Amino acid sequence: MLNDTKTPVSRAPSTSAAARRRHAPLRRRLGRGLTYLVAGIAIVVLLFPVYWMIVTSLTADRDLASFPPRLLPDFSQVGVYVDTLVDTPILLWLANSAVIAIGTCICTIVLAFFAAYALSRFRFKGQGVFGFTLFATQMLPEALLVVPFYALFISLGLLNNLGGLVLAHTAFVMPVVVWLLKSAIDGIPVEVEESARIDGASPLRIVTLIVAPLVSPSIAAGAIVAFFYGWDEFLFATTFVTDEGARPASVGLASFVGEYFIPVNQVMAASVIYTLPAIVFFIALQRYVVSGLVAGSVKG
Amino acid sequence: MRRRRSLTPYVFIAPAALYLVALMAYPLAEGIRLSVTDTSLLQPRDGEYIGLDNYKTLLSDSEFLGTLWTTLVYTVGCVVGAVVAGLLAALGMNRLTGHSRALRGLVIIPWAAPIIPVALISTWMLDNQYGVVNWFLQAIGILDSNVAWLSNQSTALPAILAITIWRIFPFSAIVILAALQGVPDELYEAAKVDGTSRLNRFRHVTLPTIAPSLTILTLFITIWSLRRFDLIWVLTEGGPLGSTTTLVIDLYQSAFRLTELGLGSAIGVIGFGISTVITAVYFVVQSRGAAATRRRHAE
Repeated sequence: MLNDTKTPVSRAPSTSAAARRRHAPLRRRLGRGLTYLVAGIAIVVLLFPVYWMIVTSLTADRDLASFPPRLLPDFSQVGVYVDTLVDTPILLWLANSAVIAIGTCICTIVLAFFAAYALSRFRFKGQGVFGFTLFATQMLPEALLVVPFYALFISLGLLNNLGGLVLAHTAFVMPVVVWLLKSAIDGIPVEVEESARIDGASPLRIVTLIVAPLVSPSIAAGAIVAFFYGWDEFLFATTFVTDEGARPASVGLASFVGEYFIPVNQVMAASVIYTLPAIVFFIALQRYVVSGLVAGSVKG
Repeated sequence: MRRRRSLTPYVFIAPAALYLVALMAYPLAEGIRLSVTDTSLLQPRDGEYIGLDNYKTLLSDSEFLGTLWTTLVYTVGCVVGAVVAGLLAALGMNRLTGHSRALRGLVIIPWAAPIIPVALISTWMLDNQYGVVNWFLQAIGILDSNVAWLSNQSTALPAILAITIWRIFPFSAIVILAALQGVPDELYEAAKVDGTSRLNRFRHVTLPTIAPSLTILTLFITIWSLRRFDLIWVLTEGGPLGSTTTLVIDLYQSAFRLTELGLGSAIGVIGFGISTVITAVYFVVQSRGAAATRRRHAE
């Protein structure tokens, strides 16, 4: 095979390749056309709901109840966004979501990183049990634990408290991040740490100053996973937060369901404000997200 | 790898381990305890031990058996839908070259969008008066009149399945794409030279290489489907007439609407049991498969 690629035939000038392509049999050209068609439909299906969210947010009140619907955004309606910010507590809700997400992110990374390091670099009694427990947490339905958490949070006074939500979310997302970071640490050679240890560095210094920078892309991936777990979470938030001022955006937006005082374009404007940062973030940091997803799921 | 006895690993692991004991193991134990009591949400401290009554009630209740059936349909639908859609997307993405590679980035969008806005836009798109889906299906001649997708017993579950698959297939697409990139080109070339058809190349070259990824995906999607609450809750709350009530929806309804914490916990324990069995089966099958591969290599 390798030899083949060195023969003059496959090094033929690109013009002749183009010529060959022009004369490609009809069947193949049809095939290619079909591929593009299918790909085009797939991309439309993929993007349409998000597009429709934006279109609906930019639709005048009178056009919302038109059927057939208006298929293009009406950019003269950007005022809907101003109205949404004024008429709904969306900014307060987003701030609450941000607090929850950042809190979850910090707690998760701190707890998970040290545990992942120990799992990766040491052999110790109870390691198997700990590893299994991490996996087992993923089988637990959040809805089962919501009941005991409710009782626990009443006695600790953590209902309507953003800190309580951070505690709960961290418990669910941390095990995933431990696996993700463990497989990252597995992938870096141990020699650097050994030499630092011989130089007399303490384990804590080794972990924070040598290992952490080496796996920083995976830490970023873990941070993204944890952040968006907190940003999106709904079940615990809707159960434990009854106070409107403490609602995160997920619960706030869900409260629009069956609500007739807020027009659909404002609901969608609020949805866009809540959704777009997540999408932009994911696309911008795609490399980390993807490697994290793949490592955390397949190797874990 | 250090094997010497040392306290260091325990010190590193202690915060995470204690955290999980306090906020996972303890609540789980508490959930199991509640499941054998008649605790009510209104008097959470006054529950009394009633043995397995909650479980007996559930298993003799035809509505609960319906819930199990709905859960099964939803789970299988999610797995098949998300794996097939993810596989097709991954095969397509794998063929993108040059500038069009950038299109791969788009696939992550449904996965990035938070669930609640997804539920809201889906509700609006499926609206029975002004929904764009009804308009489109009539425009291309599939429907004659508007359908109330989410409030019709026969269409609510398929609609929720479609929305769920849209939202989760990017995950399988990304995982499968990563696996596809691990298929050695030489194998394809060899198969091409042998004149193998495209379908056979897929069956004998691609599929075996990505099979491990497909199985772990199946496991993950199964467990997630058994756990999924928010999307279904915001779309239908389990209705109409219980046609979209999965285990976790039933759990939440029982505990927080009917105030029967004990009964709700029993439903949750059953759900946890099902996930555990499925995971155990996966590991048994996987270790057998690995052993078989080792034997084949040894021969």
